Amino acid sequence: MTETEAVRAVSLRKTYGSGSAAIVALDDVTLTLARGTVAALLGPSGSGKSTLIKALGFVSPADSGEVFFEGRPVVKDGTALADLSRLRRKHLGFVFQKANLTSFLTARENVEIACEFGGKAMGRQRARELLQYLDVAHRENSYPETLSGGEQQRVAIARALANEPSLILADEPTAALDSVRSRNVMELFRKVAHERGAAVLVVTHDHRALDIFDVLHEMEDGRIRPSSHVVAHGQQPRQPL
Amino acid sequence: MNLAMRDVRRHLARFIGTAAGLGLLLTVVIAMQGIYAGMVDDATILTRAMRANLWLVQRDTRGPFAEGSRLDPSIEARAAAVPGVRRARPYTYQLIQREHRGAVMRIALVGLGWPDDPGSSLPLVRGRYLLQPHGEVIVDASLGLGIGESLVLAGEPYRIVGHTKNALTSGGDSVAFMSVADAQLIALDQPAEALLLERQRVVERLRRTDLGRGQPALEDLATDPRWRAPTLASPPLAAILVDTDPHRVAEVQSQLRSWGDVSVYTQAEEEALLLGGVVQRARMQIGLFTVILTLTAAVIVMMVMYNLTLEKTHDLAVLKLMGAPRTRLAGMVLQQAWLLGALGYALAHLAGQVAFPMFPRRVLITSTIAVLAPLATFVIVTLASMLGLHHVLRIDPARALEG
Repeated sequence: MTETEAVRAVSLRKTYGSGSAAIVALDDVTLTLARGTVAALLGPSGSGKSTLIKALGFVSPADSGEVFFEGRPVVKDGTALADLSRLRRKHLGFVFQKANLTSFLTARENVEIACEFGGKAMGRQRARELLQYLDVAHRENSYPETLSGGEQQRVAIARALANEPSLILADEPTAALDSVRSRNVMELFRKVAHERGAAVLVVTHDHRALDIFDVLHEMEDGRIRPSSHVVAHGQQPRQPL
Repeated sequence: MNLAMRDVRRHLARFIGTAAGLGLLLTVVIAMQGIYAGMVDDATILTRAMRANLWLVQRDTRGPFAEGSRLDPSIEARAAAVPGVRRARPYTYQLIQREHRGAVMRIALVGLGWPDDPGSSLPLVRGRYLLQPHGEVIVDASLGLGIGESLVLAGEPYRIVGHTKNALTSGGDSVAFMSVADAQLIALDQPAEALLLERQRVVERLRRTDLGRGQPALEDLATDPRWRAPTLASPPLAAILVDTDPHRVAEVQSQLRSWGDVSVYTQAEEEALLLGGVVQRARMQIGLFTVILTLTAAVIVMMVMYNLTLEKTHDLAVLKLMGAPRTRLAGMVLQQAWLLGALGYALAHLAGQVAFPMFPRRVLITSTIAVLAPLATFVIVTLASMLGLHHVLRIDPARALEG
């Protein structure tokens, strides 16, 4: 384990179906995500990106292989070695293609509930701070359906940050946004990674914003392509959460 | 943060609408239970109001309510002479149907042995007991007749002097209490003039005899309203009510049972005859209907709760993905079910307060119903939420990632 390692996947393999209908979604995937970096996960549909996100997010474990979180083995060969629900609650943040905000909670409450799950004190205050940080504080009492797509995504990011996560997983977070808002959101991830020291993995098809990422990973047929590389601009100094 | 309340707040109108629907359903369930209880109470109130230790009726009959009973009036004096008997009272019972102010009125006429029994054991809510042997009647308030009004029966006016509450027969007919003589007068529809003339004739005959001339007090006896003119048919009684010394009920009952012309029932046995015979079928019908309604309510609540949970599947998957403890999400479903039940029951209670008095049959909310109904509602909504809970526990957090 390196000092900045957030999550490390080793030889992950996942197959859907069986026999001749079996589809290999992950095929010997090994990947490390470091804190303070924002990484992109590229690849065509069906290449295994979402399956990898689920495995790294401890939502749907791989059939074989190991996942380490901050150096500790958490999943091995499909078996949980820790309380995965607690791990998600305390250390992970998710951002989805659609904002997926809880429809019956206001913007602030969506963030506040994540603070509460993560055991953070002063949840309301922290939620307000995060909304302010993401420039949506003026909509704190609005319900998700009344927010614009961009506002919803910013609230979703605030929610993902609520528990001061070590790892943020974002699955096509800008798919529903126009190019300007899309870039804004990507820059927000970069800001979060660099200022707050989280490891951020973003699944994206949007090649216009690749210059924002520190690391690019490309998947094809369930494998990470060897051409994955570190982007030249490097990391910014970390700030405490 | 209370997720259940947040969800309710967001969908308040729909939640209240659902609670109102449940409330109406519970109103019907409670009404059926109340009608059932009312029927049982109505069936026994007539016997309880008389406060007699023993009921003497025609031999081998289940009278006077379950079937007709005809007793010779002389049995009253015979019963009163039995050791341990403190008092024997005549009792008549008949159903009549008359028109009053253009409306059909069904009345159960109960004859009381005035003056020994002026109706002092009756649960009066207004007015007084019978002070006159003739022309006075105590009626149930449900008849809608006011104190001081007159009710014309068999051509004679009867002034209403008292009101009872909930004195009804098992068939729901209101009960009127009057003297045995008046009740028999109505039963035989004999004009009072005929009785007075007959009594006068007896007095005249007495005066023509040595006995009558020698004992003028016999004339008073002949004109006593309790006395029946011998030339007219001596109407039978429906029952004789026997009050015994305390602790001698069994002894007196045993003695009376040895008589060849009567059957003897205790208060409890008389009630059992009523419940076992007259109202048994109706009880079973209403009881089964209540069970079906309760099950229907449970299934409807279950489907409502399930649908409410189903609609939130994606939200719940997201919350699960965020690491929400299962107990927190299960608690949300349960709290909503309980809130729905509490709100539904409160609405049912209010609806009952307004609607039940308007029912043609008495809806009796007993203390048992008052305690069991909210408890049953709690159990029903808890059980009904199980399907929703099962769904919540099975939601795969990965669904949140499926867009």
